[in-house]
Amino acid sequence: MIPAGPSPAIDGDMLLPAPRRGLPSPTMQHPSPERSTPSRPAKVFEAIARNEPHVTETHLSLQGDDAVLEVEQFQLHYGAMHALHNISMRIPRGKVTALIGPSGCGKSTLLRSVNRMNDLIDNVRIGGSMRLNGDPIYAPGVDVIELRKRIGMVFQKPNPFPMSIFENVIYSLRIDGESDKRVLAQTCEESLRAAGLWEEVKDRLQDSALRLSGGQQQRLCIARAIAAEPEVLLLDEPCSALDPIATGRIEDLIEELKGEYSILMVTHNMQQASRTSDCTAFMYLGRLIEYGPTDDIFLQPHLRETEDYVTGRFG
Amino acid sequence: MDTSQPSPSLRKRGRRERKTRRSVLVAERVARTAISLGGGLTIATVSLICVFLAWVVIPLFGAATLSPARSLAGGRASEPIVACATDEYASLMWVLERSGRVSVLRLDTGATLETLSVSEQAQPAALGFDAASNVVAVGTSDGAVRLATLSFAVSYPDTAGSGEVLSTLRPEERTPFAGGLAERLADGQVRCVRLELSISEPFELGTGAAKSPPRLLDLNVTEAGATVAALFEDGRLTVGALKRTTNMMTGAETLRFRGGDLPAPNAPQSEQPIALRLLGAGDNVLLVWRDGRGVRYDARELRSATAAESLELLQSADVELTRVGAALGERTVLVGDSKGGVGAWFRTRPEQAGTVDGARMARGHWFAGDGVAVTAVAPSATSRSFAVGRADGRFELYFLTSEKQLAEGRTPDGSAVDALCLSPREDALLVHSAGGWSAHQLASHHPEASVTALLRPVWYENYEQPEHVWQSSSGADDFEAKFGLMPLVFGTLKATFYSLLFGVPLALLAAIFSSEYLAPRTRVAVKSTIEIMASLPSVVLGFLAGNVVAPLVQNSLAAVLASFYCVPIALLLGARLWQLAPQGLVLRLVSWQRLLVITLALPLGLLTASVLGPWIEDVAFGGSLEGWLDMQHGGAAPGWFLLLLPVAAIGATFAIARLGGGWVRRVSQHWSRARCAQFDLLRFCATGVCACLFAALAAALLSAAGLDPRGSLLDTYAQRNALVVGFIMGFAIIPIIYTLSEDALSSVPEQLRQASLGAGATPWQTALRVIVPTAASGLFSAVMVGLGRAVGETMIVLMAAGNTPIMDWNVFSGFRTLSANIAVELPEAVEGDTHYRTLFLAALALFAMTFVVNTGAELVRQRFRRRAYQL
Repeated sequence: MIPAGPSPAIDGDMLLPAPRRGLPSPTMQHPSPERSTPSRPAKVFEAIARNEPHVTETHLSLQGDDAVLEVEQFQLHYGAMHALHNISMRIPRGKVTALIGPSGCGKSTLLRSVNRMNDLIDNVRIGGSMRLNGDPIYAPGVDVIELRKRIGMVFQKPNPFPMSIFENVIYSLRIDGESDKRVLAQTCEESLRAAGLWEEVKDRLQDSALRLSGGQQQRLCIARAIAAEPEVLLLDEPCSALDPIATGRIEDLIEELKGEYSILMVTHNMQQASRTSDCTAFMYLGRLIEYGPTDDIFLQPHLRETEDYVTGRFG
Repeated sequence: MDTSQPSPSLRKRGRRERKTRRSVLVAERVARTAISLGGGLTIATVSLICVFLAWVVIPLFGAATLSPARSLAGGRASEPIVACATDEYASLMWVLERSGRVSVLRLDTGATLETLSVSEQAQPAALGFDAASNVVAVGTSDGAVRLATLSFAVSYPDTAGSGEVLSTLRPEERTPFAGGLAERLADGQVRCVRLELSISEPFELGTGAAKSPPRLLDLNVTEAGATVAALFEDGRLTVGALKRTTNMMTGAETLRFRGGDLPAPNAPQSEQPIALRLLGAGDNVLLVWRDGRGVRYDARELRSATAAESLELLQSADVELTRVGAALGERTVLVGDSKGGVGAWFRTRPEQAGTVDGARMARGHWFAGDGVAVTAVAPSATSRSFAVGRADGRFELYFLTSEKQLAEGRTPDGSAVDALCLSPREDALLVHSAGGWSAHQLASHHPEASVTALLRPVWYENYEQPEHVWQSSSGADDFEAKFGLMPLVFGTLKATFYSLLFGVPLALLAAIFSSEYLAPRTRVAVKSTIEIMASLPSVVLGFLAGNVVAPLVQNSLAAVLASFYCVPIALLLGARLWQLAPQGLVLRLVSWQRLLVITLALPLGLLTASVLGPWIEDVAFGGSLEGWLDMQHGGAAPGWFLLLLPVAAIGATFAIARLGGGWVRRVSQHWSRARCAQFDLLRFCATGVCACLFAALAAALLSAAGLDPRGSLLDTYAQRNALVVGFIMGFAIIPIIYTLSEDALSSVPEQLRQASLGAGATPWQTALRVIVPTAASGLFSAVMVGLGRAVGETMIVLMAAGNTPIMDWNVFSGFRTLSANIAVELPEAVEGDTHYRTLFLAALALFAMTFVVNTGAELVRQRFRRRAYQL
C-alpha cells in the first residue's frame, strides 16, 4: 500500500531523464539524511503552511551583479487568492535565470508580471514594484504598450502567427510602422540566424510559418522576440511542448543567446535549468524560497527544501 | 499482499454489475430511434418543401399538346372565310363567309346546325369584324352599313318541362334543341348553347353625297361606343364614331355616324390596300398594301385626322404581305408574309419619333417562318396566343410576348390552311383548308412563361425597347402580363447590398471591439444584449422603418445625409483630441469608461450634422435637396464633391502616409507624447483639407465634362427607399453577423493574441494584423449568413421599400424583392395559373439563393474550424 504522506501539488509533465552535467548521480537522488548537511532545518514549508512570512534565501554571490530587472516586495492577488508573496529578486544582465518550482507555485505568474500580461486578466491586484533598467513597470504613468516593446516573450506552446515566416519575424517592426524593405530583410536574417533557423528556412521565407515543425516554430518565436531587440527575454517553459531533440536545440540556442540577452526562463525540467541557466530561483506556493547561482542551488543549496526539490524528493 | 484479492477499500460498493441493465438498453434504443427520426424528418421536410416548390413550378415550362386532327363532316366553306368563333365551351362554331352567310357548326359531329346571313344582299360590299365584341360591320353596295352582332347565348333549361328531347339525354350526349345545341353535363344539368344574331338598322357613313360602296371596313367596339373606319371604292377614307340615339317619342333607337374623311393615301389607284385596321381604342387607323407599305393615321381628333407615318412592314422587295391580323386588345398588328414570316407591330413612343403624335410603329416581335407563305392568322380572344396557317397545310400556335411556339400541326390532306379558329379557353383549335374543317384538342398550359421571357428583356406592347418588367396584373382583360423576374432579383440584391453596406461594418467593428477590448465580464453582457436585438420581430422593424424612419429621413434629409459625414469626422477628430489628453488620465480610464468618452463624439457629430446639413442644403443645393435630386435645379458639382469626399479622404490618407510616413517616423522618434499628438492632429487637419481640395477638383472636372451623379446612383427621392431599408435591415442583420463574428474572433487561440500583445502591439494592431486574418473565414461566413438573412427578409422590405419593381441603383428609390413580391401577390394569385406558378418560381429562386449562400458560409466555416484546430 502506498504510504499516505504529505502531497504537494504533483506536476504531471515533469521530466526526469538521466542527468547530464552538474547534476547529482542517480545514486545521489535519494541522499541519506546523514549525507545532507543543510544549513537550516526543514522548517520552511511548515512555516509557509502556517502562513508565516518567508524571507528569501538569496545567495550572497548574486548581490554584486548588475541587474536588468529588479523585483522588490512584489505581491499579486487573483481576486481573493494571494498568488505571489513578497518576491524580491534581481535578474542579472546578460545571464540566464531559471525559475523552478512545482506547478502552481507562481513561476509563470511572476514571469507574466514582468511584461504586465496579467493586466489582461480581471481581478488582478499588484503590490510592490518592478523596475526594468531602472524604469518602473507598475507606476501609474507607464504605457503598457511601450513597456512590452522593451520585453520579448516566448510562450509555452509555439505560437507563430498564421502568416509567412518573414512576416512573423519582423512583426514587431511592422507594428512600429517600419516599411524600409532593406531594414526588414536585414532584421529578419539576423534574427533567424541568432535563433539558428536561418539555414533551414532561408529559401522559404514566404511560406506559412504553420508548416514548420514544432521545434522550428518555437525557434521562430524566439527569432520574433529577439527581432524587437528586447532588454529582457522571457521564456515561459519554452520546451514543454517539444520533443527531446527539439528541446536540445532550444537549449543550445539559449546557451548561444546567453551574454547578449538577459533571459528569464520558467522551466519544469531540473536538467534544463541546471544545464542552461546561470542563476536559479526556487519558488513554492507563491514564495521565492531560494535564489542563487545554478551550481549552488543544485549542488549546495542552503535550504533542505530546495535540495529535496531539485533532487526529486518531492514535487 | 495477495494481489488477486482487490483491496477492501475498492470493494465497498460490492462487485460492479457487468451486465448492462435492460432499461438502459431500451432507453438507448428509444433515444437513438427518436433522434434519427427527428433528424431524418427535418431533412425530409426541407427536401419536401423544395420538391413541392419544384412540383408547382415545373408545369410552367411544359409544352402545349395538340391532339391529332378530327375531321368535321360538314361546313366546308365555299367562299373565303372572313371570321369565325366558337363558344366558350367549344361546342358550337359560327363561320362568316365573304358572301355574308353565317353557318353554325356542331363541333362534335361537324354537322351544320343552321345557316343565317348577316346581309340582305347576296354579296355585301365589305365586311368588318371586331373580335372582342363579335360584331360584324356589313357594308352594302348602296353605301349603308349595318352592325350584326353574333353572340352565343348559354342557358340551362329545366329538363322536366321541355319534353322528351332533353330528359332522355344521357350524360355528355348532345342534341339539337331550340335552334342550339343541348348537352347534359356531368352534374346532370343540361346546358344549351345557341347563336343569336341581331342586325341593327342601317346607317350612312358620312353625309354621303356620293354613295360609294365601301371596299374595306373595320370597326372597334368599346364600352364607350364604336368606331368605324371605311375605305370606299372611290378611294375616300373615312373614320368616325357611332352614337346610339333614342327617339324620345317612339323609343326607337337609331345609330348615327359622326366622323370625317382622312386624307387619301398617295398611292396609285391600281394598287388597292388589302387591309384596313383600327388600332387601340380606335384612335389610329392603319392602311396596308400588299407590297408591305402601310400608312398610319392619327385619328384622335376625328375632324383633323392626319397621316402620322408611313411604314415598311416587310423587309425585302420580293416578299408580299399576305395576311393582317390583330392580337388581343387590337394594339398589336400581326403581319404575315409570303415568305412565312409574321411580324408583330405596335406603337411605341421613342424620344425622337418625328411624327405628329410622337408615336412610331415598331416591330416588337418577329416569327421568322421557313419560307412557306402565311395564309391565315388567327388571334386568341382571351390571350396573346395566335395561330398561323401556311400554304403547305402546316399551322403553328405561338405566344406573342414570350415568342414561344406552343404547338404545330398539319392539315390531313396537306392543302393550304385558309382559316383558323382558337376557342376562347384555348382548348380547341379549328383549322379550315380545302378539305373542310378539322378540329384539334389543345392543351396549352402556361404560354406566357419561358426561360427567356422570365429572365431576358422582353419587348412588351407599346414599350420603346425590350425591358425587364414585372407587372403581373392590371384592371383590363387585354392587358399583357409581364413576368420578368429580373426586377425582383435586382430588388433583392439591392436590398441586400445596401443593408450589408450599413450592417457589416458596424457588426464587424462591434465584434472586434467586444472581443479585443472589452473585459470578459462586460463582453458577456454586451453580447447577450445584442443577441436580444435579433429577437426583435422584423414586422416591428418594418413598421419603424416605414412609418417612423422614412418620414423622419424625408423631413430632415439634409441632416441625415450630413450625419454620414459628420459622425465619422467627429469620431476621428475625437480620437485625435483624446491623444492630447494628459497621459495619466488616459491610462486611468479603461474599458467602459473609455467607451463612454468615445460615445460623446456621437451626439456631437449628430448635432453638427443637424446644424450643418440644412446650411449646406441652402448654400449648395438651392434650398431643397429633393428638388436638386429631381434635377429641378442646381448643377452637378456639389453632388460630385460630396460623393467623392470619402474616396478623396481615403486617398489623401494613404498618399500622406506613403509620402511622409518614413520621414515622420524618423523625425518623431524623440518627440514627446504630447508633441506627437499635436502633430497627429495637424496631420489629420491637413489630410482633411487635401481631401476637400481633391474632391473639389474632381467635382469641377467631372461636372465640366458634363457628367452628373443624378440619374444613376442618385436620383429622384422617394419616401420609401433603399437608404431607409438599408438602415433598418442593417439593424436586423447586425445581431447575427455580430454574434457569429464575435465567436469567430474569440475562438482565435489566446496564445496568438498574447504573442502579439507581448510583442508590444496595441489591441487594434493585434486585431487587425493577427486576429482578423486568422478569423477571416469565420467572419466571411458570418457575413454570408447575414447576407442569407437579408436576402430572405420580407417584412422590412415589404413595409419600407415601396414595392416598386424598378431596376436602378438609386439609393433614394424603392424596389421590390422576391420575398416581398411573394407576400404581396400570392394571396391574390389564382391557384395553378401562370402568375401563381411564377411566384412559386420566385420562391424557388429565393430558396436557391439562401441555400447557396448558407451552404457556402457553412463550408467556409468548416474549413475555418479545421484551420483553427491546427493553431
